[in-house]
Amino acid sequence: MASTAPALQQQPGRAIDPQYAVFLVVLGIVGLFVLYPVLVILVDSFVVGPIGGARDWGLDGWRAAFTDPTMLRAVQNTAKVLLANESITLPSAVLLAWLLARTDLPLRGTFEFAFWITFFLPSLSVTLGWIVLLGPQNGLLNQIALALPFIGKAPFDIYSFWGIVWAHISTSSLAIKVMLLTPLFRNLDAAFEEAARCSGAGRWMTLTRIVIPAVAPGILTVLVLSLIRAMQTFEIEMVLGPPFNFWVFGTKIYVLVAQVPPEFASATALAVIGFVIITPLIALHRWLATRTDYTSITGRERSQPTPLGRWRWPIFCFIALLTLTITVLPVTFLVAASFMKLFGFFNIASPWTAAHWGAVLNDDFFSHSLMNTLMLAAGTALGAIVLCSLAAYFAVRSSYRGRNLLDFLSWLPFAIPGILLGVGLLYVFLGNPLLKLLYGSVALMILAMVIAGMTLGTQILKTTILQLGAALEEAARTCGASWWYGFRHIIVPILMPTLVLVGVINFIAASRDIASIALLSSNTSKTLSLLQLDYMVDGRWEDAAVVSVVVMLVTTGAAFLARLCGIRLGVRD
Amino acid sequence: MAQAFVQLDRLNKSYGPVSAVTDVSLELAKGESLTLLGPSGCGKTTTLRMVAGLEKPDAGAIRFDGKPVVSIADRINLPPEKRNIGMVFQSYAIWPHMTVAQNVAFPLRVRRVDAATIRERVRAALTMIGLGGLEDRPATRLSGGQQQRVALARALIHEPALLLLDEPLSNLDVKLREQMRVELKLLQARLGLTLIYVTHDQSEALSLSDRIAVLNRGRIEQIGTPRSLYEAPATPFVRDFLGKSVTLPGRVKSLAAGRAAVELVGDGNAVIECAVPPGLDLGADHEVEVSLRPEAIHLANGQSSALQGVVEAVLYQGERSECEVKIGASALCVYLPSGISAAPGDKIALAIEPNAARLWAKPGGAA
Repeated sequence: MASTAPALQQQPGRAIDPQYAVFLVVLGIVGLFVLYPVLVILVDSFVVGPIGGARDWGLDGWRAAFTDPTMLRAVQNTAKVLLANESITLPSAVLLAWLLARTDLPLRGTFEFAFWITFFLPSLSVTLGWIVLLGPQNGLLNQIALALPFIGKAPFDIYSFWGIVWAHISTSSLAIKVMLLTPLFRNLDAAFEEAARCSGAGRWMTLTRIVIPAVAPGILTVLVLSLIRAMQTFEIEMVLGPPFNFWVFGTKIYVLVAQVPPEFASATALAVIGFVIITPLIALHRWLATRTDYTSITGRERSQPTPLGRWRWPIFCFIALLTLTITVLPVTFLVAASFMKLFGFFNIASPWTAAHWGAVLNDDFFSHSLMNTLMLAAGTALGAIVLCSLAAYFAVRSSYRGRNLLDFLSWLPFAIPGILLGVGLLYVFLGNPLLKLLYGSVALMILAMVIAGMTLGTQILKTTILQLGAALEEAARTCGASWWYGFRHIIVPILMPTLVLVGVINFIAASRDIASIALLSSNTSKTLSLLQLDYMVDGRWEDAAVVSVVVMLVTTGAAFLARLCGIRLGVRD
Repeated sequence: MAQAFVQLDRLNKSYGPVSAVTDVSLELAKGESLTLLGPSGCGKTTTLRMVAGLEKPDAGAIRFDGKPVVSIADRINLPPEKRNIGMVFQSYAIWPHMTVAQNVAFPLRVRRVDAATIRERVRAALTMIGLGGLEDRPATRLSGGQQQRVALARALIHEPALLLLDEPLSNLDVKLREQMRVELKLLQARLGLTLIYVTHDQSEALSLSDRIAVLNRGRIEQIGTPRSLYEAPATPFVRDFLGKSVTLPGRVKSLAAGRAAVELVGDGNAVIECAVPPGLDLGADHEVEVSLRPEAIHLANGQSSALQGVVEAVLYQGERSECEVKIGASALCVYLPSGISAAPGDKIALAIEPNAARLWAKPGGAA
């Protein structure tokens, strides 16, 4: 037998391990494009003077950040929107997730997918739809209300605090929580519930005393995640806030950067304050996430869904109405508005026209932007798959020194407002003669989007890799496969559905993003979402609506395509 | 003396402050099967993983056929794929995205064996383990026992120099486990495999291996043939871990010609005679312990030296009953043949096989 076995080869132990080499490359890339921009931001907050002009050290930025009342108010406003938003969406999402995951609610799989679609819809598009419906003067719902005899003045105003909160609820803030919480409830060991029922607890008591406490760490994790995200909110406030002089953290930074002359020092100082708030939250989230991964979740058990009894159909109607309201309604009216002579004016004579569609679709600029969008989205999807899978793998499986640094760095982009990531990367690229050549190209924007989307992708893949267990690849090693061979033939194929999911999420994120790429694009690399924002700034609302619908088609198209290909967007069979 | 085929030389491994494996040294001859046996956390799996190259020891060396595969002093550490081993994992680690044949063929594909040979050898391997015809079945649609066989075929197909098995039977139900135990033994004999087997199941260890190394808290307590370990355990840990035994406190009554008569504590009439092990320094009235295997205790048929006891509990097991018998302050476990019934409260007289009782120093104190 020994004759057929290849001789045991000797190999010098000091030869560089290929796995370690790949790890160093990944760490280097992430370090350069995540840590460096952050450092640039930090340093720049202590610099005064315009870019390209005379620059000197100074504390003007910090002074402004702490003394300018508008800055303080922006932080307050962020907190107020957050509080209102969370106190509505979190309890609702917990209940919805339970209903979707553990009960016999009709069409629950469809509802879950509907929340995914809601999440994928560009928030700018949905907000435009709400302007059509809830605009203070011409908003359709206001018109209808005013037609009623007992209402004297328009009841709705989207340009208000509650308008902004509503836009948040209806775009992503409820949807993402339902998306994250539903699997949590689904994976909960059914024996917990069954034991409670056998002990004599009713449905409600089982839910409130057993199920929710059991997933409480997960709920807390989602809440912390939302707090971190809140510092990033941008588009909705950018459209709805200025008309009533309402600024939040993200929009304040944006105007400081975008105004002429820009105030980088104040903007970066504000951003550093944001970091200081967010970093402990990231630490808390990581701590919670490592604690919750295995405590309550066993995965295997499948239980009979809890019967809702006579509440089944009323709850069904309520959820159907909710998903229709937050998604279908604004989308329908956005599409309608794109066919209107005058955006939102339903009461003029013959309001409908396809002229805007014709004009926009025949515009070379539009087709160019569409190409850019597709290139950006596809490139981002590919880049994110490669970077996230390697980062997640090393964070979970390796024991290299620097592994924790990589894990932490993968979190940072989540905490950087997109606009600032853009500024940081701009500095990195303009400061390097080789990279400078890429300025204004789609490649640079792809890089920004890959970095911006890194956190979510890495987290999703980390969870999956953790669940895989190490034995699958160890078995490959003991069969004689090198690490790289095993990674390609074992890890990647098994992860494929998740990899495609990460790709789809990043494709969608890139095709609708504004904040991260706004400062990095040039006229030749403009995307549809930026074109849409340009139109809105120019007051060309009808054209903006047309582009908005196209962006929406791209994002939801990707989501449907993925589902057609059997990718589980949150829905399991 | 032939050179050891596999040699573990003073292996050490700790995780932070916790020492998992301490100074583990052992040797395997070619074709030998060795079991690492011990309770969970004793370091047996860590030792196996160091042999596989999945863990790097902090100190020590492992040599295959005289050549080091890992030697910390020489800065040599071959990765698993360079060690020419086969391994069966506790979870089987059957890759879910592959068919049965693809799983089994993997080691040959890695070694760039041509497709025709692969097909031939996979078919032969699957036939050997009784899964012929299941080549194209997706790996996810296999039962636990089938997965176990596929894992075994995958670990053997490239004819590794050494086969490592990490609790391979622990996820199977009792019937299947016993069947697989027999099959493994036959396979090992037929292929002349050199194998290291990790288990916490003592009956698996006793029945499968040429030699057993009992591990406790990261150290080897004793190495030897199953019979020598069972019949002459060197430490109380090995005695208690292998098989069932009862330990009774007693006092030396008399000593003569290397034998001692020990009177059980709490019952002056119960006296057991046993050999004094070498190295145990005894005098009259010393407190000692006596250990007995239940199978060495029988019902006394009118013998005068019988121990008198009272039945406390009876556990009916089918082929026999396990009987808890109180003698003085001590309790004994006795196996009653299926034909004999007893009830709690019954008075019972017991005889002990000659030379079956073993004498131990009283733990914690001087004898």
